[in-house]
Amino acid sequence: MLTDLQYRLRSLFRRRKVETEMDEELRFHYDHQVKKLMSSGATHDEAVRQARLVTGGAEQLKEECRDARGVQFVENFLRDLRYSLRMLRKSPGFTIVAVLTLALGIGANTAIFSVIDSVLLSPLPYPDPARLVTIKQNDSLQNIDDIRRQTKTLAKGGGLTTERMDYTGGSEPLQIRAAYVNAGLLETLDVAPMLGRLISPDEDVKGGPHNMVITHHFWREFLGADPNVIGRSLTLNGNRWSVIGVMPPTFSLPEDETDIFVSLWVAYPEAAPFRGVHFMRTYWRLNPNVTLEQAQADLDGIASRLARQYPDTEGKRQKTLVPLHQFLVGEIRPALLVLFGAVGLVFLIACANFAGLLTARAIARRQEFVLRASLGAGRARLLAQAIVESVVLSLLGGAAGLGLAKWGTSLLVSLEPADLDRFRGIQMDARLFTFIFALSLLTGIVFGLIPALGATDGNASNALKDSGRGTTAGKFSHAFRNVLVAAEFALALILLVAAGLMIKGFARLQSVSPGFNPSEVITMHLQLPITRYDKIPQQTAFRRHLLSRLNGLPGVEAAMVTDLPFGGNYLDHRFVIDGRPPVPVGNEPTVQTLSVMGDYFGVMEIPILAGRGLTESDRENQPLAAVVSEEFVRRFFPNENPLGARIDFARTNEPHQWMTIVGVARDVKHGTLNEPPEASMYSPFAQADEDWRRWMSLVVRQRGLAESSGLVAQIKQQVWAIDNQIPVSEIRSMEDWMSASLARQRFNMLLLGLFAGLAMLLAAVGIYGMMAYRVSQRTNEIGIHMALGAQRTDVLRFILADGAKLALGGIAVGVLGAAAVTRVMASLLFEVTPTAPATFVVTTFLLAAVALAACYIPARRATRVDPMVALRYE
Amino acid sequence: MPPRIELPQGTLDLLILRCVANEPQHGWAISERLQQISNDVLRVQQGSLYPALHRLERRGWIAAKWGASENNRRAKFYSLTRKGEKQLDAERDAWEALTAAVAQVLRTA
Repeated sequence: MLTDLQYRLRSLFRRRKVETEMDEELRFHYDHQVKKLMSSGATHDEAVRQARLVTGGAEQLKEECRDARGVQFVENFLRDLRYSLRMLRKSPGFTIVAVLTLALGIGANTAIFSVIDSVLLSPLPYPDPARLVTIKQNDSLQNIDDIRRQTKTLAKGGGLTTERMDYTGGSEPLQIRAAYVNAGLLETLDVAPMLGRLISPDEDVKGGPHNMVITHHFWREFLGADPNVIGRSLTLNGNRWSVIGVMPPTFSLPEDETDIFVSLWVAYPEAAPFRGVHFMRTYWRLNPNVTLEQAQADLDGIASRLARQYPDTEGKRQKTLVPLHQFLVGEIRPALLVLFGAVGLVFLIACANFAGLLTARAIARRQEFVLRASLGAGRARLLAQAIVESVVLSLLGGAAGLGLAKWGTSLLVSLEPADLDRFRGIQMDARLFTFIFALSLLTGIVFGLIPALGATDGNASNALKDSGRGTTAGKFSHAFRNVLVAAEFALALILLVAAGLMIKGFARLQSVSPGFNPSEVITMHLQLPITRYDKIPQQTAFRRHLLSRLNGLPGVEAAMVTDLPFGGNYLDHRFVIDGRPPVPVGNEPTVQTLSVMGDYFGVMEIPILAGRGLTESDRENQPLAAVVSEEFVRRFFPNENPLGARIDFARTNEPHQWMTIVGVARDVKHGTLNEPPEASMYSPFAQADEDWRRWMSLVVRQRGLAESSGLVAQIKQQVWAIDNQIPVSEIRSMEDWMSASLARQRFNMLLLGLFAGLAMLLAAVGIYGMMAYRVSQRTNEIGIHMALGAQRTDVLRFILADGAKLALGGIAVGVLGAAAVTRVMASLLFEVTPTAPATFVVTTFLLAAVALAACYIPARRATRVDPMVALRYE
Repeated sequence: MPPRIELPQGTLDLLILRCVANEPQHGWAISERLQQISNDVLRVQQGSLYPALHRLERRGWIAAKWGASENNRRAKFYSLTRKGEKQLDAERDAWEALTAAVAQVLRTA
């Protein structure tokens, strides 16, 4: 064993010495052979000839000896590597195109893979995340407490709702984001605080201490990362709150962003006891070894007990358990998978191009292969060399792809799609390197082997005879390249159609009217502090005062509304219609409920279709008035005139306060553009009876003036002139709100469009390379045609037809593929049928045009062939 | 010239080991000796001989040493190692057992 190793090592590291010794040994044998033949009477020349015959090819023999020495593999590998690098340096054009092609394919794949890895595959950042579940439906604190008392399958559970709180310690009043929680919430997520402690159950009661836990972000940004922060207190909503804990930097809530955590019982004792207001998200931790099904059965039991006990609020409610991870990624999952499929296709096209390049090169180097084969190189050796070369290329491509991916993911992050909140850029970890390395290596081996198989195939002596004339290049290789180019077009068409449908859907979405005119409207959010504005009259006075001041500014029209369209907030109420048969309690229909003040319909340019809008005279002590939306009329007054009808919210123990419908407004999209319109109802702020709706959004239209920052400052000034403790937040134009609501669709469209563009580019490069190569191979033939009288246009047509056949074949297959693939995308498309014929036609023509353009350059070159030169060629 | 016989697989190793058993030999001498002793029946091609020599050397059954040939040229001489002696014995026994058995079958069957 030892001798074996020594021997191999000597052969490897003292290679030159070993090689000369082998030469000398074989020479010695050969000389004796010659001498022996001459002594038996042959002439010197005859003896030499015979000795050569007997001894066979010298190189081949040496190869076999090297094989016998058992170092062949490493040695060959190093030699091939050196040789490959030399060859690649010699043809930089080929090298650059091949590396770039792969870099694009691998880079795009890596970028999307890293997104999928961190968003879909990575576990949630909480201990034992597999046991975390959520109930799809929001719930009330009372129900959460009942579930916690009754459950046998859930170990812990908690809920939260987010609110804004006014922070008035700093230079100007600010709003911070607060999570109103129960003590169970942070306990369920099970992340220990970095400093201090969490809110304990005995503090989480009505009248408990004003304690808060703060996030790392808030600690750093607002409290200067004070290490002695525990015990410090801040003024929030007019009360002093003490910091009892700081969360670690890695901690965030599963869905919401927040600055602080406070007890719901302490911060909002009015809401805590309401069973029927289901405003909390809830998160739960399964007991060990409990399945989701067991927990769901347990929860169903609890839900039906609650329904029997409290039929008016809990009668019709369901509670559906979902694993938290699945719940969080559920919405973006199909989009990411489609994108992954798209980059997969781009990658395939890149590979086809790569293989095409290698094939062309292998054909061009066939003579070299044949020569080496006749000098004694076995086919396996030739294949190994070809593979080493393609692997070198593919690894270079992988490295360049990594760079591209890093750049690409920072681009992805900068698009800021809300769904990718959990994605914070590419992680250069072992997983990613393994992914890229495996992808590159596999590409190199597979796509190096196929063309090399074709090029090394066949009879050496035939090839030697033919290759001088440059006409034979292996039928296999040609057919293979044809298939590659056609396949590229098929794949590119699939991507183009997908992107086309996406763009069409997006365009259609953008052209959907929101129901109002968003241009030149600035919005901002105000929240009245409870300390001074807990009653409706105070609130109304402030609102009225502010609007009269704002409308006094030159060129400004201002109004206010509780919840802006596209602002993300939504409130609905169950309601009844006067004079209709009574509906069982809990089964009443719901309506989105908005309060407005000022000429809201005028400022937003929402047309009033019937009756009138709300005016300044719809105020306190006047008959209650309401404006409803078209959808409300369609749903509840399908064949009736709604004007004059009376409605009210469903009330259990109070007399009705009927509102009279005075007008019908055009439908306004409230959540996103791609959802159906809501049944909504507008009523005057001045006639509101819900004193807890202390917030409002200002909508301010400034006609003709583009410059808005001065206006914002003026508005703030007006607010603070009335009350300097009121924070002004979320200063955004109405167009920004709308554009944010389209972020996901824009993200999908941009990426898919980018990939389709890449695919088309790669396919064009592929067919261009193929045709350029063919023209150069057929120079001779073209020369003959022209010598026999063919015109330049004939040659042009003939070459273009050649290319068109390939491209159209691919496109035809692609149409079928696209029809199948785009069905998968149906969920991502807005009002576009996946087989929309126009998209197919347009993309098909686009791709065919690109193919023709790519073929035109080599075809032009073919027409410039000088018949005399071509015929003499070689 | 008597008809030449193709060497069965593996027997070349045995013959080489036997040739270098008495004294170190170079490749040419080994091929000549095989041919002479077998009365021209066994003729080993260079293409088989040298790879076999290198392989046996790697296995440590023969050792190579550069020395002067009969007409004073530098030549590579192969000699049997102790490991090679054992291998030779084992292969010879196996060969004899095989041929005896084959002969037995041919005689009696």
